[in-house]
Amino acid sequence: MLKKLTYAFGALTLLFGLWGFYDRFAFGHQDANYGSYVVWGLWVAMYLFFAGIAAGGFMIATLDLLFDIPIFKGTGKIALWGSLVSLAAALLSIWLDLGHLERIWKVYLQGNPSSLLFQMVWGYTLFGLLTLAALILQIRKPGSRALKIIMWIGLPLSLFISGAVGALLGVNASRPFWHIGLFPVQFPVFSLASGAAMMLVALGLFGPRDDPHRPQQLWTLSLLTVILMVVKLYFIWADYSQSMYGNVPMNVEAIRQVMFGQYWWAFWIAQLLIGSLIPIIFLSQPKFAKHNSWAGWMGLLVLIGYAFARGLIIFPALTVPELGALTSAFSGPHLSFDYFPSLMEWAVTSGTIGIAVLGFLLGSDFLPLVTKSQKEA
Amino acid sequence: MLDVLEKTDVILRLQEDLRRALEKAPEDRRWVMVIDLRKCVGCTSCTIACIAENKLPPGVVYRPVMAEEVGTYPHVTMKFLPKPCMQCDNPPCTPVCPVNATYKNEEGVVVIDYDQCIGCRACMAACPYASRTFDFGLTYTQATPDGFDFVLGQSNAGDYERIANVEYGENRARKGNTSPIGNVRKCHFCLHRIKDGMLPACTTTCIGRATYFGDANDPDSLVSELVASSNVMRLKEELGTEPRVYYLA
Repeated sequence: MLKKLTYAFGALTLLFGLWGFYDRFAFGHQDANYGSYVVWGLWVAMYLFFAGIAAGGFMIATLDLLFDIPIFKGTGKIALWGSLVSLAAALLSIWLDLGHLERIWKVYLQGNPSSLLFQMVWGYTLFGLLTLAALILQIRKPGSRALKIIMWIGLPLSLFISGAVGALLGVNASRPFWHIGLFPVQFPVFSLASGAAMMLVALGLFGPRDDPHRPQQLWTLSLLTVILMVVKLYFIWADYSQSMYGNVPMNVEAIRQVMFGQYWWAFWIAQLLIGSLIPIIFLSQPKFAKHNSWAGWMGLLVLIGYAFARGLIIFPALTVPELGALTSAFSGPHLSFDYFPSLMEWAVTSGTIGIAVLGFLLGSDFLPLVTKSQKEA
Repeated sequence: MLDVLEKTDVILRLQEDLRRALEKAPEDRRWVMVIDLRKCVGCTSCTIACIAENKLPPGVVYRPVMAEEVGTYPHVTMKFLPKPCMQCDNPPCTPVCPVNATYKNEEGVVVIDYDQCIGCRACMAACPYASRTFDFGLTYTQATPDGFDFVLGQSNAGDYERIANVEYGENRARKGNTSPIGNVRKCHFCLHRIKDGMLPACTTTCIGRATYFGDANDPDSLVSELVASSNVMRLKEELGTEPRVYYLA
């Protein structure tokens, strides 16, 4: 029943997304609310979100396919598939954000190797190919030596592509909110937590119901998620408190916007209450954490919280003017420091989510992602 | 009064400086802009001249003028600060470009190759001066009614917007999703005018003669005299971007 409802959810979000895709291709970026001051919007935030799950999913897959941890036996393929689907959603989201998406080939053939974006495009390409190869190998030749080698290469690569997202933002000295050494360190932690939460959803809500290992798998993943979320909360505390004490105006203003400005609800309610506090309370208790549905739904809350968290990394830094008097210097469309995604932006993101959800479900239904014994169980 | 009239217009001096600079090899020139904030009256004629010269569409601006009210009544004044691209000698915007679409040309001006730009906007995020704007493909006549009989409507009135501009010496008509639509755009010191011996549009149009332009490598140029003033400053110097736009305050 849940799977059917999720199929329906995926189909509906994709249907809404089709209008967004049409608008994006027919009218370019005209109907978007980001602009020349808030240069990146919802799609970039969702790219961060999905890319985080992709990298984290791969890291989780290594527990089974590289380190052979008994309790995670049989979960590697689901983790890889989740990673692959998330990567596709991430790349779709960021591709649609380009002004000239037909020129993406230039990054491969006429690129600037010193640019982090260049390095990431190449990194994602290699990462995607490795993930696909690992999945095919595990389906065709489980536990092969080639698979181990791929997983060995993929693990540091997954760390690189998640850390590089932090660096991509962090290198901008023009944005004090991003320009902190912690950024590239935080993102792999975010990614691993996202991957663990994705696995809670995948195993808890859509995995074989009576797998004897399942309660222990969910408990271990729950503990991992809780620990990483606490670490993440510590990062936020360290970042925000240092910045507030440091009192650099642009930085303080960005944090003020997150905590008390136009995004306060996203921070206090979506990210902290729904996405952190509630999951931490439930996932730290074995009776909930070992329960398929509880663990799965809490994993979903964690992911929702992370989606908002990604937005709260991108938007506030850009809504603070680089020069105070810029706000009124020149008026025109797309020249505003206020940002809330437009209907078209939401539609495209809805479509991207729909593709990811349907892709994951179709894969779990039609690909041999769980072993025969698991299915029989 | 007579003395004032007999004084040479500063524009003539700048043009003479420009003529001399153009005789040198491009790599030997160092184009800089000096803006005397004490002379700026905030008329925004430079903004408008720039828009007309480069046929900028809605939402794209190369040289906004920032205005700020200072003091409390009755001691109140307005401060104006025209803000073109700083043409930094150490630009944060160029290394982040994944396809080398933006770079410093041989004359040290930060330019954009519209056919190379993929529109990722990483350069915009990196610029500490918000000197870049994105071309969303809008037109001024968009969504206006079309004409009938003798009334000039969108299809005819819009001709002006559709005619090619001449940025970088290229002819680019606005149509479909062709560049510069979908690209990042910025001030380029009117390189196409300089090539033909003309000063940037913002410089010639300034009614207060507050904007100066020229080759700082020429010790006889007016700009090299001005950048040596004691009251010269640059925006956000602490970032180490080494802007080529100087302000006299």
